[in-house]
Amino acid sequence: MSSKLSKMLSTAVFGAVLGTAALAHAADFPEHRVNLVVWAGAGGALDTYGRELSKLLDEQAGWETKVVNRPGGSGSVGMSYVLNQPADGYNILVHTSTLTFSIARNLMPYKLDDLRFVRAMQGEPSALAVRKDAKLNSAKDFVDAMKKDPKGLRVGGYGTGGFHQYMLYQFMRAEDFEAGWIPFDASGKVALGLMGDHLDAAMMTPSSGLSQVESGDIRLLGISTDERSSYFPDVPTFKEQGIDLDGMVWRGVSVKAGTPDDVVASIQAALDKVQASDEWKTFMQQQKQEDLAIKDGDFRDMAQKQLDTQSAFLKEAGFN
Amino acid sequence: MSSIMDAFAVIFSFSGLACLIAGTVVGVVVGALPGLGPSIGITLLIPFTYNMPPELSMLLLVALYMAAEYGGSVSAILLSTPGTAAAAATAIDGYAMTRKGEANQALAVSLNASCVGGLVGAFALLVLAKPLASVALEFGPAAYFSVGLFGLTSVASLSSGSLVKGLIAGAFGLAIATIGIDPISGVPRFTFGVPELFEGIPFLTALIGLFAVSEAFSLAEGGKTETHSMAPKVRFALLSMTQWRKLGSTIASGSIIGTLLGILPGVGGNIACWVSYDFSRRRSKTPDEFGKGAPEGVAAPESANNATVGGAMIPLMALGVPGSPTTAVLVGALILHGLRPGPELFASEPVLVNTVLWGLAMTSVALFFVGSMLLPVWGWVLRLSNSVIAVGIGCMAMLGAFALRNLMFDVYMTIAFGILGYILKKFKIPMAPIILSMVLGYLIETNYRTALVTSHGDYAIFVTSPLSLLFLVLSAISLLLPVWGKIKSRRQATTNQSA
Repeated sequence: MSSKLSKMLSTAVFGAVLGTAALAHAADFPEHRVNLVVWAGAGGALDTYGRELSKLLDEQAGWETKVVNRPGGSGSVGMSYVLNQPADGYNILVHTSTLTFSIARNLMPYKLDDLRFVRAMQGEPSALAVRKDAKLNSAKDFVDAMKKDPKGLRVGGYGTGGFHQYMLYQFMRAEDFEAGWIPFDASGKVALGLMGDHLDAAMMTPSSGLSQVESGDIRLLGISTDERSSYFPDVPTFKEQGIDLDGMVWRGVSVKAGTPDDVVASIQAALDKVQASDEWKTFMQQQKQEDLAIKDGDFRDMAQKQLDTQSAFLKEAGFN
Repeated sequence: MSSIMDAFAVIFSFSGLACLIAGTVVGVVVGALPGLGPSIGITLLIPFTYNMPPELSMLLLVALYMAAEYGGSVSAILLSTPGTAAAAATAIDGYAMTRKGEANQALAVSLNASCVGGLVGAFALLVLAKPLASVALEFGPAAYFSVGLFGLTSVASLSSGSLVKGLIAGAFGLAIATIGIDPISGVPRFTFGVPELFEGIPFLTALIGLFAVSEAFSLAEGGKTETHSMAPKVRFALLSMTQWRKLGSTIASGSIIGTLLGILPGVGGNIACWVSYDFSRRRSKTPDEFGKGAPEGVAAPESANNATVGGAMIPLMALGVPGSPTTAVLVGALILHGLRPGPELFASEPVLVNTVLWGLAMTSVALFFVGSMLLPVWGWVLRLSNSVIAVGIGCMAMLGAFALRNLMFDVYMTIAFGILGYILKKFKIPMAPIILSMVLGYLIETNYRTALVTSHGDYAIFVTSPLSLLFLVLSAISLLLPVWGKIKSRRQATTNQSA
């Protein structure tokens, strides 16, 4: 109770101080420091993106930003923090496509409409990965092997009821086969699982085992991009192999619903400067990320579409 | 060879040494403050490294990492408030020594053990990174389960007297570890719909509450901890030859245990400190001294937790996979400098890699000097009155609990654990097994279930995997050894009687 009370009080006080200031001079946004609220802990891909964004907003747009990590509750903790602040754009939520999974699984007491979607900036596909010495040479080989013996290969990846399991599920539906799912609690451990022969095939983001992918110790049989990824030109897409499977995780920024249009426009302008900079492009290349600029309504539509299909997946897979 | 010389040129340049010392000082301080610790310390420093060359910024950050593992012991020894989870085992004998008026000796043992452990871990990283990384790969879910079980057998030695009370505490810790979203099926368990509990109760929250807050209550009550006001002299840092002879083998075994457990992703210092403590108690000729202020009880966990630093860097540098929260933050720092850790970094950035590797070893040396110079500062803490210390611990604990995730919820939870710890103290139930089984509960449960998912429910996986079998046998031995010892001594007693 008292936490709610203190939150309400602090919201009221900060709202009175910041809110009025922001409303009066929205055109000059930002007038003071902006918090980038990362809804994951330090060190992961989202945190790294948030910190690079903070650095470039300061350098390229002349902002003063601070990264605030608010991990927990499948994103709920960070999201509730932002939603408890005034809708003035000074608390920008740095989040991922986990958003729609968390809402679909009822882990998060929020709706898409609680946010004003600003921009999806990074995208990362899933890929079917096997060890160097595996006998499989294509995604079709994998399908055939699974059809012959659904228990013959140990299949898994990072997270339970998340993006990669969802991709495997879509894969199973598209090609009509059955597979188990061995969940790992950290993306890096998936690559280790493959390397150490504790897993035969994984659905994983190529970057989470990049050293091994580049050295050839891990081979990618298919990738879930629409067209061949420039980072992995030798890896055929699933679509090329006649398998109806594509999708990406995204990372992006949003603000609380009700944030004034001109403030959002200022944020968009600053993000334009960030994405136009050489530093951003180098960062994206080093991180092997697809550079996205899906804005406003398009961003929201994408999230809505994902929410709908993921809800169906979770229901069928028995999560809800 | 020239890249090693270049790395030394970086380390021994003015700015290199400045980074080494600054990182060490900041590291000791964030380590000593409960709740901050190495990963948050590094996160706080990252913004200052944006414009620094990557070699220097990594030097600063690894120095902080190493020093924070030592810093955690300072508050553990002086205030029974482990600054980091990996210093939890140190609090038992370290604080007991402080109460006996031997704080200076405890701090010196901790500093010497930490530096040696750090050096051993760093040299393991230097020499063995590649071969040891393949050892980490051999560990599958079944083996991790058995390692966890092996760790759990040390509950017996942490029970100080009553094994039943120790088992109660251990079971309670395991129960707490089940809170949160089920890692295998994804269903929330015992979260009561509170999002803050989805990831479970962070064990640092429990640790700060059980050890620090409860101690603040005891101090405020003016209980049996009055010897605080004795203000012992904190002066010397280098152990005497006699002490080295006494503690040398403990420090050596702690360093090796720490290095090996550090290599395993997800294990690290939090578990290594207990395993090392347990190991040295078992092979001690005076196991009854443990828990009552045995210097070995400080040397064992402290050498182990610093040795895990080098160990934890092994999978990171050799495979590009971080195995601990702190190394994950280091990856973030490297990436911000446009670098990605992994084997190819050895070829593309040899100077940077050598700076990190040798810098880690040099930090252990720097830590000795910085730690020695800081000893008198800690002496002041002991001269404060109990009430001031109680308030100080309380404030530090609240700040630390908040700093962990920026959540008021964690502060309330810490207070709740503090009250619980206070009650447990009254009933003389040991708190160490709670922390140990919280740390191990997650490791054991996820890997047990993952192993069974992998084998389609076939339990044979635990004995057909050689590493798993090895640790199962070790667990059995470790459980049966005390029983066998008792039978033997009883038999001896009867033969003596009949003779």
